[in-house]
Amino acid sequence: MIRGVLRKVVAFLRSAGLAAGLMVFVGVWSMLATFVPQGDISNPEVAAWASAHAAVEPFVRFLGLHQAFSALLFRLGVFALAVATALCAWQRTRVALARMQTLKEAAIADEASVSAVHDLEIVCDPGLSATDVISRTADTLEHLGIRTKRRGDVLVAVSRRWAVWGSPVFHWGLVLLILAIFVGGLQRSEGLMGVAVGETKPDAPASYGTLRSGPLHDWGRVHRSIRVDAFDTDFRSGNLDRGPTPTVSVLDAGGRVIKKQPVYPNSPLQSGSLTIHPSEFGFAATLSVMNASGVEFGRATQLIDISQTATEGTVPVGALTVSNEAGTGQLSVFATVPMDRVNGQLALPQERVARVSVRASDGRPVLDRVMRPGEEMALPAGDTLRLDSIGFYARLNIVDDPTIPLLYAALAVAMMGLTLTVVARQQIVLATAIEGENGLRLVATLRLWRNVPTNRNEIESQLATALRGDEEDVS
Amino acid sequence: MTTEIVLMWAALTCYVVATALFVFGVTFTKEKLIHNGLLASALGLLPQLAALGVRWARVGHGPYIGYYEVANGLTLFVVAFFAIGAWRNRRLSAAGIAIMPVAVLLLGGAMLASKTGLPLTPNLASYWLFIHVAFANLAFAAFVASFGLAIAYVIRARSASGTWAERLKRLPAQDVVSELTTRFVLAGFLFWGIMIVSGAIWANQAWGRYWGWDPIETWSLIVWIIYAVYLHVRFTLGWRGERLAWFAIIAMPVSLFALLGTPVVFNSVHGGYIGGVDG
Ligand code: HEM
Repeated sequence: MIRGVLRKVVAFLRSAGLAAGLMVFVGVWSMLATFVPQGDISNPEVAAWASAHAAVEPFVRFLGLHQAFSALLFRLGVFALAVATALCAWQRTRVALARMQTLKEAAIADEASVSAVHDLEIVCDPGLSATDVISRTADTLEHLGIRTKRRGDVLVAVSRRWAVWGSPVFHWGLVLLILAIFVGGLQRSEGLMGVAVGETKPDAPASYGTLRSGPLHDWGRVHRSIRVDAFDTDFRSGNLDRGPTPTVSVLDAGGRVIKKQPVYPNSPLQSGSLTIHPSEFGFAATLSVMNASGVEFGRATQLIDISQTATEGTVPVGALTVSNEAGTGQLSVFATVPMDRVNGQLALPQERVARVSVRASDGRPVLDRVMRPGEEMALPAGDTLRLDSIGFYARLNIVDDPTIPLLYAALAVAMMGLTLTVVARQQIVLATAIEGENGLRLVATLRLWRNVPTNRNEIESQLATALRGDEEDVS
Repeated sequence: MTTEIVLMWAALTCYVVATALFVFGVTFTKEKLIHNGLLASALGLLPQLAALGVRWARVGHGPYIGYYEVANGLTLFVVAFFAIGAWRNRRLSAAGIAIMPVAVLLLGGAMLASKTGLPLTPNLASYWLFIHVAFANLAFAAFVASFGLAIAYVIRARSASGTWAERLKRLPAQDVVSELTTRFVLAGFLFWGIMIVSGAIWANQAWGRYWGWDPIETWSLIVWIIYAVYLHVRFTLGWRGERLAWFAIIAMPVSLFALLGTPVVFNSVHGGYIGGVDG
C-alpha cells in the first residue's frame, strides 16, 4: 500500500508535464518579480509601489512577491524541481546505460546478426549486385551526413559509448548545482565591515555593520583579523583607474599577515574560503579625550559615510560616547567631514576638516565646531576633546563561503554534460545486403537518437531512390 | 571615426541588399538570387569586422560597451553564424529571408544610437567580459538561426495553396527543418548557459556574490528556462510541427529583450554595458 503510493508520487514527480510545469512556474515567477520592487515594506520603493497598486498589493503580498526569491512558494517550487530533476537524472542514467548496452552490441554486429534483426528492408533493383548495393548505400548515407565504415559485408556507423552520457551528466550537474546553492546558503557568511586605515578588526560578528551568516557557519572556528593598511582614492594599475582602493591584510590568530593586497573591482583578496571586496569608503576621524591635567583617558574613531543627501555631504556612522574621567555625565560626539561641491557634484575636500558636534545625554546640543587635525576643544566638565586625525575608512564586503568550489564544480559538470549533449552524435546505423526469395534486399538497423543530421524518413526515401531506381515508395 | 562609420554603412548596405536578394530570390524562386544573398551577407562581414577593428584600436576595448557596440557585436555573430552555417549546408540559405532582416533591424538601430566610445569601468575590466559577451553573442546567433528556420517552417506549413511551400522547396524537408531548429536551440541553450555561468563566476570575482537576482541576471535565467521548456516539450512531451516552431519564434525576441531591453527598462547593477547606469 505504502509502496504503491510512493511509486505513484515518484511517477508524478518525474512526469514530463510536471517538469515543464515547474520550469514555467519558476520562469513566470521570476518575470513577475522583476516588475515588483523587492524588499521589506519599510523600503520606500516597496511602500510607494504598494500604495500605487493598492488593488493588487494584497495578492502580491500574500504570494510573497516582494521578496520573491526567498518566498515560501518559490522555494517550494525550486525544491520540487530539484527533486524532479534528480529523479529524471536517475531515469536518464538508466536510459544511458541501456543505450550503452545497445551500442556495445551494435559495435560487434555482423552480417548474420543484422540479417536476423533489423528494422528496415528495401528490395533492390534486380540489376544491382551486392557490391553495388553496399556502395550506393554508403554513398547515400554519406550524402546525408552519415559516414559509414565497412566491416566485412556490413556498413557500420556506431557512435562511441560515452556519447550517451551528456543528458544524464547535465541533469545530475543541475541537481548538484541546486544542492551546492542550498548548502552554500547554510554555510555562507557575508557582511560589510568598516575598517579605518591602520585599524585591525577581528573577523567576528561584532565587527560587522551588516551580517548574514548561515546556521552552519561556525564563528568559533574563525580566528583571523582584517586590517586596512592604506587607502588610495585613485588607484591605477594596468593603465586603468581602479577607483578608491584600500590595501587589505588578513592576519592569523598570532597576528601574522596571511595575505595582503590592494582590493578593487575584479581583484578581490582571496584567502581560502574568504573573499574580500571593496564596497564603499568614507572618512575616519580619530578623537581623544584628556583630563584637566592633559592626560589622555579615551580615544575612538568615528566612521563617516559620504551621502548625496546630507547637507555637507557626509553623515556619521553611529555616535561616539564620551564620559568624563569619573565615568559620569555622558556626552555623544558626532563628527562629519564637509565635502566640496564641484558643479553640484560632491568632491573630496581640498582641506580635510571635521565638524564635531557634542550633545548631552538628553539630546541637547552642547557644542558644535569645525576642527582641524590637532585642534582641541574644551568640554563642559573640564575635559578636553582633541581631533587627532582625519583619514579614510574602507567598507569591505567580506564573504566566507567554503562551498564555492562545489558550486563551480557543479557548473562545470552541468556545462560539460550539456556540451556533450550538443556535440555528440548518438546513432547506430548497420546495413548489409542479403539475398532472399525476392532477390537482393538491403536490410538495416537505424537508431538515430541524437544530433544526426538527417532522419529516418529521409534515409528511407533516399535509399529507396538509390536502390530501386525510380520507385519512390518506401514502406 | 569617419572610416569606421563609412565601413559600418557599407556593412549595413550589404545586409540590406542581402535581405532584398533573399526576398526576391525566394518569391520568384530564383536560386541564383538566393545564392547572391548569401554572398552579400558574407561580404558585409568584411567591412563590419574592419569597422570593429578600427574602433577597438581607437577606444581600447572590444564591442562590449554601449548600445551601439553591443548591437553591433550581436549582428556580427548573427550574420557570421548564418553565413557559415548556410555555406556548409547550402540548402539552408533561404532561411536568410527571416534571419537577415533581424540583422538589418539590429544594425540599423545601432547606427541610430550614440557612437561615442565609452571607457572600460573598473567593474568591467576583466577577461571574463570577453568570454561572457562572446557566449552571449554566440547564443543569440544560434537563437536567431532557430528563429529563421522556424519561420520558414511555419510559412511552408501554412501555405494552403502550396505557393510558398514551392518557393521554399530548396530547404530540407519539414521534419529536417524542425530537427535543425531544435539543434540550434540546443546549441544556443548551451552558449547561453556558458554565458550565465561565466557571468556568475565573474560576479563573484567582481562583487563577491555569484547571483543576486538583479533584473538582468533574472531575465537571462528566464530566457534559459524558456528554452529549457522548449527542449522539454520537444523531447519529453513530444511537441512537433507548427506549435514547436511558434515556440522558437516567440522565444527569440525574449532573448533580445534580455540582452538589450533589460538595462533600459530596469535599474540594474549590470546596466553599465549599455551605457545607462554605471556597471
Ligand atoms: C532544472 C531543470 C531542468 C533543465 C534546465 C533541463 C534541461 C534539459 C535540456 C537542455 C534537455 C535537452 C538536452 C538533453 O537531452 O539533455 C533536457 C532533456 C531532457 N530532460 Fe531535462 N531539464 C531539467 C529538469 C528535468 C526534469 C525535472 C525532468 C523530468 C521529467 C527532465 C527530463 C528530461 C528528459 C527525459 C529529457 C530528454 C532527453 C532525451 O530525449 O535524450 N529534465 N532537459
